[in-house]
Amino acid sequence: MRPFTPLLTVSCAPHVHCGRTTRSMMLETLVVLIPTVILAVINYGLPALRVMALAGASAVAVEALCARIMERENETDDLHGLLTGLLLAFLLPASAPWWLVVAGSAACIILGKAIFGGIGGSPLCAPCVGWAVLSISWPELMDTELTLLSANFAAPLHQLKHFGFMAVEDMPLLDALLGRQIGGLGAVQVLPLLLAGLWLMIRGHIKPLIPVGFFLGVILASLCFHLPGPDEYAPPLFHLVTGGTVLAAFFLATDNGSSPVFPIGVLLYGLLAGVMLILIRVWGVYPDGAPFAVLLANLAAPLLDRIRPHPFGTRKEAA
Amino acid sequence: MHRLWKEFSKGLWKELPPFRVLLGLCPTLAVTSSAENGLGMGLAVVFVLTLSNLIVSLLRKMIPPKVRIACFILIAASLVVTVELLMQAYVYPLYQTLGIFVPLIVVNCLILGRAEAFASKNPVLPSVADALGMGLGFTLSLTFLGGIRELLGNGTVFGVPMTWDSFQPLSIMVQAPGAFLALGLILAAMNAFSNWYSRRHEETPPRALEAITSCSSLGAEPMVVLNGDDANGNGNGANGR
Repeated sequence: MRPFTPLLTVSCAPHVHCGRTTRSMMLETLVVLIPTVILAVINYGLPALRVMALAGASAVAVEALCARIMERENETDDLHGLLTGLLLAFLLPASAPWWLVVAGSAACIILGKAIFGGIGGSPLCAPCVGWAVLSISWPELMDTELTLLSANFAAPLHQLKHFGFMAVEDMPLLDALLGRQIGGLGAVQVLPLLLAGLWLMIRGHIKPLIPVGFFLGVILASLCFHLPGPDEYAPPLFHLVTGGTVLAAFFLATDNGSSPVFPIGVLLYGLLAGVMLILIRVWGVYPDGAPFAVLLANLAAPLLDRIRPHPFGTRKEAA
Repeated sequence: MHRLWKEFSKGLWKELPPFRVLLGLCPTLAVTSSAENGLGMGLAVVFVLTLSNLIVSLLRKMIPPKVRIACFILIAASLVVTVELLMQAYVYPLYQTLGIFVPLIVVNCLILGRAEAFASKNPVLPSVADALGMGLGFTLSLTFLGGIRELLGNGTVFGVPMTWDSFQPLSIMVQAPGAFLALGLILAAMNAFSNWYSRRHEETPPRALEAITSCSSLGAEPMVVLNGDDANGNGNGANGR
């Protein structure tokens, strides 16, 4: 008997697909990060390459291991694990010992991703989780100024923290843009990160309001400090080009699973992260607390998502 | 005898206080930065819990239902003051480490929960068995949690070095976030183990939630039973779901 072939096949939506997959988005992000990787290797030498390779490899390995143990489908080929490892490496000092890198990657993937059910399930940005675990546990190894004594760059945020703005006033901002400053090995390569972030924004991979809100928050908060005390507190431009501001704004805060969905919430989320960043830099213990700022904003994301658009067709009072 | 054993053993796994019914989480999270602290806190709770269950069970016919919570708290508070004075006299360093959490045993859900759910309705011997089982489960859990945190965060267990020389302690584990991390991972591991076990024996897995509802079907949920008219508290069982 011939199988029944209907004239029309009916299936569930969606019927048209634009072809964008998780894998292609992650691949594109990785590709636009290549200039940053190259500049990091130029500035910090081969140790930086070692840290990035180790972090990416161990993140993928840990993810595959987790999928095995939890009896889930192995989804490491969507490249999210690799990107998480690379972003973690961007936050580490180039001199990090191998076990520190591996422990950080494992913390990222296990605590930041796997136990919440894989990609998109985590309420926190995975690379920030790994960075937070490392910098709370081993502060002396994560202190970029202490561990990179051999590098002949300035450490703008450390000097700002300890000596006030007078000490770093004459530092050329072009140096900072090109990554000639001490900090996380990829986070300080500001110019390529900025270009990569703008590219992703134009392509629509990240919500544009998050970086906009983030920079707005940084500018407003730092103006509040700088205008009354110009000798002690740095101006907005200084905060924008030093440390991990750009990395956090374009790549950490925009993690799709852990940021709000609706426009007003998204803008507030960015603002909150930006303001927190300045508050941590001015009053906190850490010279550069960009990942902490993002984590705090992540925690507020479910609340911000309650600001949702008015449902079509319902009355105002009912909502 | 069989009944006593049943009441005793349910606190060791099926209704294990901090990890199954999630009662008494405040000391569980706050004082378990080392195995020794966990053990000390656990023993203090065993003492208070056993005597409180004993006294509540003895007085259960005399306590008027409308003011029972106040009576339970009064009994627990007297016992806690005893423990506090004893600890000051004999284990002063431990008392200093535990700090505010010794007086806070008064408001530990575990004490009030067992008094409300069990001791106020049962004879003396089962009540004591219940308290000993629950207290022992609590002590073992706290010691286990403290041991894990101390091992990872300090490289020692009960102050004895357990790791190799070049081990760099993961000191987040002895700080506040480590308590939440360790507790969450232990809960996940216990649920995974129960699932695996019941799959082998083809039973329905005893989840934390079911343990809470089974506990509240006895009339527990002391934090919600606030109106005195609801004498047996059964009407609030649904709150646990």
